Amino acid sequence: MPPRIPTRIVAQCCRAPLDHFVLPSLAHLFAALSVQLAPSHTRSASILASLSDNPGAHQKRIRVGRGPSSGKGKTSGRGHKGQKQHGKVKPWFQGGQTPLIFQKGRLGFENLRAPVLSEVNLNKLQEWIDAGRLDPSKPITPKELIQSNLVGSIKDGIKLLARGGDSLKQPVDIMVSRASAAAINAVEKAGGSILTRYYTKQALKRLVEGKSINTGIPLPTGAEHVDPVLEEVRQKGFFYRLPDPTSRWDMEYYRDPAHRGYLSHTLQPGESPSLYFKVPPVQIARDLQKKKKAKQEDVKLWEKL
Amino acid sequence: MSFLRIATTVPVTVFNFPSYEPQRLESWSSKHLNLPLRRDILHLAVVYEGDNTRQGTASSKTRYEVHGSHKKLYAQKGLGRARVGDKQSPLRRGGGKTFGPKPRDFGTKITRKVYDLAWRTALSYRYRRGELVVCQDGMELPLPADFEVLLQNGGMRESGAELEAGFRAKWVKQVLDTNDWGRKAGRSTFITSSHRENLFEALDLVPNWGRALDVGDVDVKDLLETGRIVIERDALMHIIESHQSDLTPNIFVANAALPSKAVSGEILVE
Repeated sequence: MPPRIPTRIVAQCCRAPLDHFVLPSLAHLFAALSVQLAPSHTRSASILASLSDNPGAHQKRIRVGRGPSSGKGKTSGRGHKGQKQHGKVKPWFQGGQTPLIFQKGRLGFENLRAPVLSEVNLNKLQEWIDAGRLDPSKPITPKELIQSNLVGSIKDGIKLLARGGDSLKQPVDIMVSRASAAAINAVEKAGGSILTRYYTKQALKRLVEGKSINTGIPLPTGAEHVDPVLEEVRQKGFFYRLPDPTSRWDMEYYRDPAHRGYLSHTLQPGESPSLYFKVPPVQIARDLQKKKKAKQEDVKLWEKL
Repeated sequence: MSFLRIATTVPVTVFNFPSYEPQRLESWSSKHLNLPLRRDILHLAVVYEGDNTRQGTASSKTRYEVHGSHKKLYAQKGLGRARVGDKQSPLRRGGGKTFGPKPRDFGTKITRKVYDLAWRTALSYRYRRGELVVCQDGMELPLPADFEVLLQNGGMRESGAELEAGFRAKWVKQVLDTNDWGRKAGRSTFITSSHRENLFEALDLVPNWGRALDVGDVDVKDLLETGRIVIERDALMHIIESHQSDLTPNIFVANAALPSKAVSGEILVE
């Protein structure tokens, strides 16, 4: 028998926590019941022989056609006679009538090229902030949304939706691919700011991997920008730059101030976000007048109050 | 309402190897070394390991792979013999195997958190039965000084490797028997954090007394097998740290109280 540490000291360290009261879990209660003193000599029978899964954890396979007592003996659960007994009937078989697809034809089509966006609702956003999984004091970008697991998988972009928009308690500074009008409204009502910018799947991946830096500023164009950009790369190291949209639909989306697009600052006063249609000068003048009137009225109201 | 105060830590004595003298007393979390026995979880883990250990290389030839001509052996009619096709028919001697084995992967999957729980459940089971002997780091079998001298001088060279092996076997048997770790006490598994030449070589010679494993080679099944586990403290810590995915959530929560982490290895008495 080797020398052992006196049992008094052993008892001391098998202590309950005194400094902070911790409720023991049920598992611990059970474990404590089975604490034994080390037996000096027990017959060593391996536990391996007595391991088994819980009863009911596995369902037995139904053995079909193995005698009447099995309950699935004679017809093997297939009933009597016919195609269903002997083979199988195609699930889309419509009993012999001319299939509707031939009678009426197909309606619509599926756009396989459309970008698939992850949806984020405002109630979830608030939930994540309440749980401490997102920090509202810092800008919330796709990187934060993905890393906090609010967005499960990286798709072509992230769209902010307005479900539970009233529940937004604090201002947030958020940047996403797209946002619904109601969501923009809710965020700004809570005192926050929102900016939509163009992302691709690859861009989102690189943001998460830390290979590029999130920014709301579009890429500079023109020869005069080459040297400053190169100088920055030399100093800070190389990061992939975020791409700007090249398709007409995307450009128009991000040029629109109503979407809080990151290209909306490039619009001239009175310019339409559309790349195709121009706003007639008459309408511009009318709009400007309207704006002026509205401002004047506002001022009057203020004075009355 | 008053709850029973249950110990959240358990004492672990760290022994010297191979003298088996207690060196110090440590407290380890009961989430690591005092989990309730779950036979179903252990079963899942052992079956998973068994499935993944299978080689799955058994292979036999079908009638299309057996060598030979596919010519009809003889005419269909007019010979007064039974009808036959080719020589490789599974019905004939030397023919192919009808539904024979083909190489395949028998591997199955297990939930990571269940597997990690199984590791700590196995250690807890051993701990509660007093079959988990934790030893100080650097566990190695010391050889007698005379023997080392003999080895260096080449005194063993003439008499051959057999004598040397015999001595090593006898030596390790005696060391184990002194501590009640040997054959009569149901063998022991020695787990170290890296390969230890003397220990591993000696135990290879006496498989009935025990076996030695590098911590990377250990499975849950190995922890349940022999009479006791004699494990280096470092190796035990490594096993526990790499198998607690069910204790540490992978949700990042800022500015929030994290669930209290299970801490092990605090020294109580040196």
